[in-house]
Amino acid sequence: MSRGVAAAAPRFPDPLVEERHGILARYGYRLDRGGLERDWPGMWKLLQGDFATRGRPWVTGFEQLSPRQQEAARVYMRRRLVADELLDACKQAHADLHQSGIAPELVERYAIARDAYEDAVMEFGRAREQLDTLLPKDGG
Amino acid sequence: MAKYKTYDKGDALPEDYKKALLNLMAFQADSEYAGGQRVAENMQYAPRPEEAYRLSKKVMEEFGHAYYVWSLMAELGVNVDARLRELVEHPDNPDPKKVNVINGFRRENWSPMFHDWADVGLFSTVVTPAAVAFLGQYRECSYLPWARVNVRIHKEEHGHLAFGVWASKRCIEFGGEAMRADMQSRVPKFMRMGLGFYGRPSTGDKKSQMFDIYYEYGIKVRKPEELQAEYMELVEARLKEVGLEMPRDVQPDYDMRVGYAMDNPVAAE
Repeated sequence: MSRGVAAAAPRFPDPLVEERHGILARYGYRLDRGGLERDWPGMWKLLQGDFATRGRPWVTGFEQLSPRQQEAARVYMRRRLVADELLDACKQAHADLHQSGIAPELVERYAIARDAYEDAVMEFGRAREQLDTLLPKDGG
Repeated sequence: MAKYKTYDKGDALPEDYKKALLNLMAFQADSEYAGGQRVAENMQYAPRPEEAYRLSKKVMEEFGHAYYVWSLMAELGVNVDARLRELVEHPDNPDPKKVNVINGFRRENWSPMFHDWADVGLFSTVVTPAAVAFLGQYRECSYLPWARVNVRIHKEEHGHLAFGVWASKRCIEFGGEAMRADMQSRVPKFMRMGLGFYGRPSTGDKKSQMFDIYYEYGIKVRKPEELQAEYMELVEARLKEVGLEMPRDVQPDYDMRVGYAMDNPVAAE
């Protein structure tokens, strides 16, 4: 998996908010951007913790998943990638408000960008639930 | 039919009315933005990817609410860009002479309340209902553009309630009965803030000097006692959904308030 973080990534105007969003990089935000071939196993390593439960404390690697589970895992990871892209758009709209001033047109642009990001996050959650139903309840 | 005079975009506003209106709008907008900054701080506690992304989503919503209200304030001649700049440049300690941030959303008051993700879930379960009740009243206020924006905001604040229930239930799902007991013991500290959110009672020695003015103008349309009743109903239902009990005899912490008792707010100019 490419570990290069894309250059010219949009940034929050607030250093504090930007820093705290750094946690998303732990799960692969801004890694592997734009490549034609996805490193699904590498990405899965960063995200599989989302599926650990008391009954399933250890979650298997991507290669050990069944074809059906792998497909659901890819959907889940694609949802995350979409969310990341929309997060960038949202950050850009936010930065532009700071740069250009608070005007109705820019406020509505931000509203559209964040609505899309919020929908994407909820889709990401739904994809997690879908995959969760396909994983064994008691480990593996 | 409204019992107070209403104003729409472009209407001439009486000077005293405009001053009172802008004070409350500034509190809402500045505090929404500062609230977004505080929520962002809590991303450090997110234990899993989905928790982190959902909290990030909440940050964006809080900023969006601030922009809606600032946009209206700009139409009334306020330099809102300066307010945004102050909050961005001094997130830890914005100048109270330049912005009106509620005490609860100031970093020195906020940070000590949070130690882990369970606190994050409980905040949205127990304190957010107070914001839903408090800000909900503005949907019926006499300044119609602000009322309309608050219809939009109120809908999203309801989504934050769902986030709190989801996050708290996940904590118990992963932490079991020991976590449930731990979270139950933390409910009162958040309820104190929730109960104090809308300010002191509307009557008696300790009543706010400003409340009568806001109420007479129809800028605030509900009394603290009514808001408290709505809050208690909302929080009890959410706690039940999570599987926690409603503690009794919790005393409000008025120092964290946003409400009626802000007698000397910074003028929004």
